[in-house]
Amino acid sequence: MSNLYSSKLKQRDNLLRRLLTFPMWHIQQAVGSLGDLWRTPFTSVMTIFVLGISLALPATLHLFVKNAHQVSEQWDSASQITLFLKLSINEKSTKNLIKRIKLYPEVDEVSYISAKQALKEFKILSGFGQSLEYLDKNPLPATVLVIPAQHSSHADAVNALLMKLKQEREVEQGKLDIEWLTRLEAMAQLIKDIVLSVALLLCLSVVLIVGNTIRLAILNQKEAIAIMKLVGATDSFIQRPFLYSGMWYGVFGGLLSWLAVSMLTHYLSGAISHLTELYQSNFQLEGLTFSEVFLLIAFAVLLGLIGSYISVRKHIRTIEPNAD
Amino acid sequence: MISFSHVNKTYPGGFLALKQVNFTLESGEMAFLTGHSGAGKSTLLKLISMMEKPSSGSILVNHTELAKIQYKQIPYVRRGIGMIFQSHNLLKDRTVFDNVALPLIIEGVSHKEIRKRVEAALDKVHLSAKLKCFPYMLSGGEQQRVGIARAIVNKPPILLADEPTGNLDPKLSQDIIRLFEEFNASGVTVLIATHDLGLIARMKYRMLTLKDGAMINDGLVDGLQPQGEFNE
Repeated sequence: MSNLYSSKLKQRDNLLRRLLTFPMWHIQQAVGSLGDLWRTPFTSVMTIFVLGISLALPATLHLFVKNAHQVSEQWDSASQITLFLKLSINEKSTKNLIKRIKLYPEVDEVSYISAKQALKEFKILSGFGQSLEYLDKNPLPATVLVIPAQHSSHADAVNALLMKLKQEREVEQGKLDIEWLTRLEAMAQLIKDIVLSVALLLCLSVVLIVGNTIRLAILNQKEAIAIMKLVGATDSFIQRPFLYSGMWYGVFGGLLSWLAVSMLTHYLSGAISHLTELYQSNFQLEGLTFSEVFLLIAFAVLLGLIGSYISVRKHIRTIEPNAD
Repeated sequence: MISFSHVNKTYPGGFLALKQVNFTLESGEMAFLTGHSGAGKSTLLKLISMMEKPSSGSILVNHTELAKIQYKQIPYVRRGIGMIFQSHNLLKDRTVFDNVALPLIIEGVSHKEIRKRVEAALDKVHLSAKLKCFPYMLSGGEQQRVGIARAIVNKPPILLADEPTGNLDPKLSQDIIRLFEEFNASGVTVLIATHDLGLIARMKYRMLTLKDGAMINDGLVDGLQPQGEFNE
């Protein structure tokens, strides 16, 4: 009975000891695989550079889309609705209308051009100043200019606002030059799609590059893998250092791509701010945020792990020990 | 315990390496497996260590039917078998210590325990001074002893050796065999494949003789040449 008790205690101790040593061995294998990368500097540096550049391209394209969105938001706010009021509307009704429109949540700003003011501007701009003197009465209607709020500046939202404003009884006609906005949005969508496609292709190439590098490392270690299998190593034990190598490639590739994007942003920001100053715009080139950098590196690690996992699954099982 | 029952092994291409092999090696027993080159000695050891699968028949190792073992369980079966090879099979880029520690690292043993057991195993094969050496810095006999230390470090119940004295001089060969006798005396089952009959002629051990894949003799060596057709 006491033997059974002591054997159970021993088993529990063994399990506890294994649980404690397991993370230690993982850390050791992770550090060891970093050492493997260090021992093959040329291959490692080349692979990291290829990964870094491959990841820098979609990261740069992402920055382009992000900054283009920032620019387009400024353009979006420039879209305005012009409401021509009925000729019969008096000043009091007009003021009421303006008050009502200002209460719309979709509206940011409302300005009013009276019929008299409109005629004055038309005389100056059209060049028909003297001819207009012969008219009995002012043919131009009073006009209300409506600038949509930021959250309602997209083509669909602005169109919906126009429909709503047209329902107002004082409004004779409403106009919105929506086409350029629609075109801009379509272009932005096209760029986003292109960026996504290019990014997908580059990510696939990263997986293939890591997979191939790990495959070569496995083939180089073929003899050692066979010996390890011979003394009882499981496939997961053997594949762990290769998976960690994939992880390290991802970490360093991700850091390199961040460095490349940061350098590019720094290089371009001077030229861009000079250009935007000429257009009297306050546009500033935005770089990668902290969370974006973290995501970039995490994504690179994920790609590295996927590439190495595919490779180890395919190749390690095929290596069998030979007693000869 | 190792038990073969009507075991046949045919390699791709139709070469019949083992024909209806039957024998049982009890726990704590030591035996020599002899025969000419190509007689099937290595194939038999490969079947025990699951490097090859039998074409038919049943193999029991430590009461486990090997035919029923799944791929994922093979490493755990191998951990119960210490294997020694003529070609040593050492990791060239690792030190003697790391080579011997490998089975313990695989099992997830603590660093402290590894150091203790590796030092004990190297002490057993008289290589304590070569702890930090790489395999290329050692002689053939020393490399063989490192292989033996690696095979015994995790205290397996079975030791298999394939031509362990193949490239060694008679003095070193005798030393190696003496080591196996020591392990056997502590209860380890030992099976040694060799074609060097001169080495075992004066020993009182069981000898299994293979010829063209068939077991032609299974008896004690008692200072005489064994019965059967195989004579060197």
